[in-house]
Amino acid sequence: MLDVKNLMIFYENALAVNNLNLDVKKGEIVGVFGSNSAGKTTLMNTVAGLTLHMKFREHRKGGQRITIVGQQNFEGEDISNRSPNDRVKKGIVLCRERHPVFRDLSVEENLQLGGFLIKEQVKVQESIDLVYNIFPPLTKLKSRRAGLCSGGEQEMIAIGMALVARPKLLLLDEPLLGLSPVMQAIVVQALKDIRSLEVTVLLTEQYARPIMPHIDRGFIIENGTLIMSGTKEELMDNPEVMSAYFGM
Amino acid sequence: MIESMLVFGLVNSAVLMLLALGFSLTFGLSGVANFSHGGIYLFAGYLAYFLLKMGLPYFIAVVLTIFITALLGAAIYKLIVIRVRGIVLNEVIATFAIGICMLEFFRWLGFVTYEYSLPYIARGRFTIFETTLDYQRSLIIVVALLLAVFLWFFTHRTKTGLALLGMAQDEYTALAVGIDSDWAATYSFAIGGAFAAIAAVMILPLGIININIGYEVLLIALAVTVLGGLESTKGLILACIILGYAQVITSTFFAPHWKEAVYLAAILIVLAVKPSGLLGKFKELEERV
Ligand SMILES: Nc1ncnc2c1ncn2[C@@H]1O[C@H](COP(=O)(O)OP(=O)(O)OP(=O)(O)O)[C@@H](O)[C@H]1O
Ligand SMILES: [Mg+2]
Repeated sequence: MLDVKNLMIFYENALAVNNLNLDVKKGEIVGVFGSNSAGKTTLMNTVAGLTLHMKFREHRKGGQRITIVGQQNFEGEDISNRSPNDRVKKGIVLCRERHPVFRDLSVEENLQLGGFLIKEQVKVQESIDLVYNIFPPLTKLKSRRAGLCSGGEQEMIAIGMALVARPKLLLLDEPLLGLSPVMQAIVVQALKDIRSLEVTVLLTEQYARPIMPHIDRGFIIENGTLIMSGTKEELMDNPEVMSAYFGM
Repeated sequence: MIESMLVFGLVNSAVLMLLALGFSLTFGLSGVANFSHGGIYLFAGYLAYFLLKMGLPYFIAVVLTIFITALLGAAIYKLIVIRVRGIVLNEVIATFAIGICMLEFFRWLGFVTYEYSLPYIARGRFTIFETTLDYQRSLIIVVALLLAVFLWFFTHRTKTGLALLGMAQDEYTALAVGIDSDWAATYSFAIGGAFAAIAAVMILPLGIININIGYEVLLIALAVTVLGGLESTKGLILACIILGYAQVITSTFFAPHWKEAVYLAAILIVLAVKPSGLLGKFKELEERV
């Protein structure tokens, strides 16, 4: 479904992603693991088109140069030069790291905006109801301002917003970051619900342990370079990987 | 005398609000201070004048004026501002230059004689609180209120309005759910233009259209926005009320030409004391203005 080939991303002269090959097949949940500044966010933002947008912005300002090299294919089509909203139309929706939400809008309005590109209001409302089913705690917060919600609640809103956009490929950038074990369990449970909706998922995480049982395949990157990939079983059977990246 | 001060203070506040709303809205939604606001305002005035002179019925001329001025706003973003978007100083220079070009172009065309004026919507007057008020001024109050209500409805009850608010609050998250940032900015410039046109059609009939009004409108928009803070409609309304009444008080007790001094003093005092504005949440203003 998603096929990233020889992806290289430079900020100025610093290499953030180095010759990365990665693929996601329809129906899979794929994890990308790596420590701080491994290039996870850069990868996700690139697939969602945000890096390209940033590149145009920087170019206009004549300042810092961002270079993106390599191929990004989605459902057999080259999307490297597509704008973020084109990619959302195609079904690639990103939930950014650190649960950014629209702070001054209510929870309900945030979810509404997730359906911005969907014409039929009925469909949007259906999706919103679905989100309330997946994240029951949000039901009570409908009219609260999102900026006043806790980090965990904001994560639910952020994932919910992405779901309302009806993704084919959902990108989750560190969905468990900074969440309590209870909240992590809710998000992990949501992941199972999302899989049952036949949404393909590509997610990143620093600590693989809580999410490991729920992924099909994983990629491990370090300083922008892929150092290992394999199925869940292959990764779990490798003692070196287990100790270095999974904290076991 | 108190009664008439109250009534005319309200009229003044409504006038200020109409004049500032477009500027402040574009600023709040796109982050670009559109210093060509005064030029756009006068463009709308002259456009309405010529459409009426061509013999179009009043209502049609007004609707056309609002529509065309909105397109002008959009074009200013699409053709010029888009190239410097994000570089604040260049945005200011570009929009300021456009505004001055428009105003001085009108002067060059010779739009400075007494024939240039717009008709009242309704002639006549009535007495309220022992004060005589004409229909045009009372309509200005009504329209200012209607626009405030419309704005609230638009930004909280329509998909487009919500999307514009979202883009203003978190650009990258908005992009991630498929809202296009240039679309949003173009839209907010268009609304700014439409509001300038509404203001022009309502307020210009009170006098003769002249070029300096363009500069004055810019000053007013700036004063109201600085005082009211960004993105806060309540702050905007409060700022208009404060400035509106301050004007009435100074012109009653001093002289009418103290009006401009009120704006200037308001800008200076707010920038020195509370740069984010009365109810403003952001401190961006000090960097921008
Ligand atoms: N806009 C930018 N400009 C310059 N350098 C950047 C930019 N964004 C990221 N980088 C650099 O690219 C590298 C990869 O960053 P990235 O945010 O992708 O890491 P990450 O794996 O998401 O880390 P974390 O786990 O901390 O979120 C880092 O060295 C970072 O400093
Ligand atoms: Mg990251």
